[in-house]
Amino acid sequence: MKALKIQNVEKTFGSIKVLKGIDLEIEPGQFLILVGPSGCGKSTLLNMIAGLESVSNGSISIGDRDVTHLDPKDRDIAMVFQSYALYPNMTVRQNISFGLEINKTPKAELEATVDKVSKMLQIVPLLDRKPKQLSGGQRQRVAMGRALARDPSVYLFDEPLSNLDAKLRVEMRSEIKELHQRVGTTIVYVTHDQIEAMTLGDVIAVMKDGEIQQFGSPQEIYDNPRNQFIAGFMGSPSMNFVPCTVKQGGNGLVLAMESGGVAHELPVENTIEGLPQYVGKKVVLGIRPEQITQVSEDKPNTMMIPCVVEIIEPTGPDTIIMVRLNGVRTVCRVHPTAQSKVGELMPLQFDMSKAVFFDSETEQRIY
Amino acid sequence: MSLNRVLIYSLLLIAAFFYLLPLLVMLMTSLKDLDEIRSGTLLSFPQSLNFDAWSKAWGTACTGVDCNGLKGFFWNSVLIVVPAVLISTVLGALNGYVLTKWRFKGSNLFFGMLLIGTMIPFQVILLPMARTLGFLGIAGTTWGLIMVHIIYGLAFTTLFFRNYYISIPNELVNAARIDGAGFWLIFFRIVLPISIPIVVVSVIWQFTQIWNDFLFGVVYSSGDAQPVTVALNNLVNTSTGVKEYNVDMAAAIIAALPTLLVYVVAGKYFVRGLTAGAVKG
Repeated sequence: MKALKIQNVEKTFGSIKVLKGIDLEIEPGQFLILVGPSGCGKSTLLNMIAGLESVSNGSISIGDRDVTHLDPKDRDIAMVFQSYALYPNMTVRQNISFGLEINKTPKAELEATVDKVSKMLQIVPLLDRKPKQLSGGQRQRVAMGRALARDPSVYLFDEPLSNLDAKLRVEMRSEIKELHQRVGTTIVYVTHDQIEAMTLGDVIAVMKDGEIQQFGSPQEIYDNPRNQFIAGFMGSPSMNFVPCTVKQGGNGLVLAMESGGVAHELPVENTIEGLPQYVGKKVVLGIRPEQITQVSEDKPNTMMIPCVVEIIEPTGPDTIIMVRLNGVRTVCRVHPTAQSKVGELMPLQFDMSKAVFFDSETEQRIY
Repeated sequence: MSLNRVLIYSLLLIAAFFYLLPLLVMLMTSLKDLDEIRSGTLLSFPQSLNFDAWSKAWGTACTGVDCNGLKGFFWNSVLIVVPAVLISTVLGALNGYVLTKWRFKGSNLFFGMLLIGTMIPFQVILLPMARTLGFLGIAGTTWGLIMVHIIYGLAFTTLFFRNYYISIPNELVNAARIDGAGFWLIFFRIVLPISIPIVVVSVIWQFTQIWNDFLFGVVYSSGDAQPVTVALNNLVNTSTGVKEYNVDMAAAIIAALPTLLVYVVAGKYFVRGLTAGAVKG
């Protein structure tokens, strides 16, 4: 049995196709992230899972029930909204118990649930307050409490952290993760923040233009992006895309690389079956900032290229420096003690073992 | 206090006095007896407090053939205003709720057409409405007049509530739907409790409009069922030789008292409700 199964789901508004045939399924207890830029259809998909929007085509099952045409209340779900959507006229206690009250839950059970949930989220002292007397983080907790009280088979989160300030967001992120580890219920979580996606998800569906671009574990998507969009979207600072020409070198393929007016040849380390066809043609080299570092003794065999430092941004643990390769600004992550000065030449080491290549026209990955 | 302040306050005082002057004259005239009115000037103060004119206006003044004062008609107005205000407000709230939270195909067109209703002058609908009331068999009854006021007011109350509800996030309704609440439950448990400011606006607006209405009252009611505004007109126009200005003035104040009271009691909510949502926060 799958916790959630979405088959060929489409959504059209008039003549505009917002979702173009979404297929995905997740196991019970999994934390699914729907991530993508705004307008990619992720929230629409979540609303369709919730039953707040109708499905134009295809089917949605929760557990072994087809819920495609069921009312939201009959789907056994709970949802946490971006604006929290707490009922302003009710106290925290009433907010949490409203759903139970409608379901005609016996009073003793209702009180026990409110008690349990409020203890779990540490909101017991807030129970008799109104939402407007709460801070953003507290409202967030109450919104989660309301969802928890329903004890559904799937939780839906619609960008729940985007209204919080940066520090609180990090705290609540860990709390959500901890909560998931404790209750173990399936979660579908929508976000546009790739860090949230990476840190929270068991599986991630990267969406763009109403389609799922890639579906897999966070590490899989980070290491093996299927196309240039995904590669650029996941990771911060994002992956560098350096256009370069593939050449046949003495010991295999090399990439022509120009830095500070000097031509270099960067050897391709990993064997990529599709790459030899591109000899003499342009490809896009995808290399993450952490793979371009200061020269270290540990890796004697990696290629070193001296580059002119254009910008230095210290972040604390690392320093981000920007150089120019083949005319494109390239971001590198170096150790704070290793940085040189702006305008100076700095030798940088290229770890090509995790580099990826994209077709410069289709932007698809070359395998 | 700076010169600017002094200027501003004196200007405001002059303006307030200017607007209050008619009321003052009415009040003073109503407390004089006829001799005083004839001998003194308009602005001279009454020599003693004499409420005879008030009791006559309320109880014994002639409005046409009958001489029972305004009191019966005052209650007529109450009987017309209370149901008309309540029903038009409730229907306006429901309309606004549907037009913002349960949109249907063509709901924007529906709202647009309803808005035209706010621009229709009273006079335009007199004849068609008279035919309609006749057709429904409620011409000349209190309920007929109430219905006219409800229908005419609906465009305004819908506009108020629709504009208020448009600023309430849809997520609130969605959250309640997921919690298992339906159309009516969401309306009564969540939407209505947060609508107090706009309910006050709607009630004040409708109360003022309907209480002060003369045209619909004079056209669609007759005899003992007429509202106080029509009776006031009849009272002033009925003379038995002497023009009793003091009674006329007392009657006019009595007829205006309820709206005055509503504004004094709820006026600040009116401004607050009208501007709610206009500025964020």
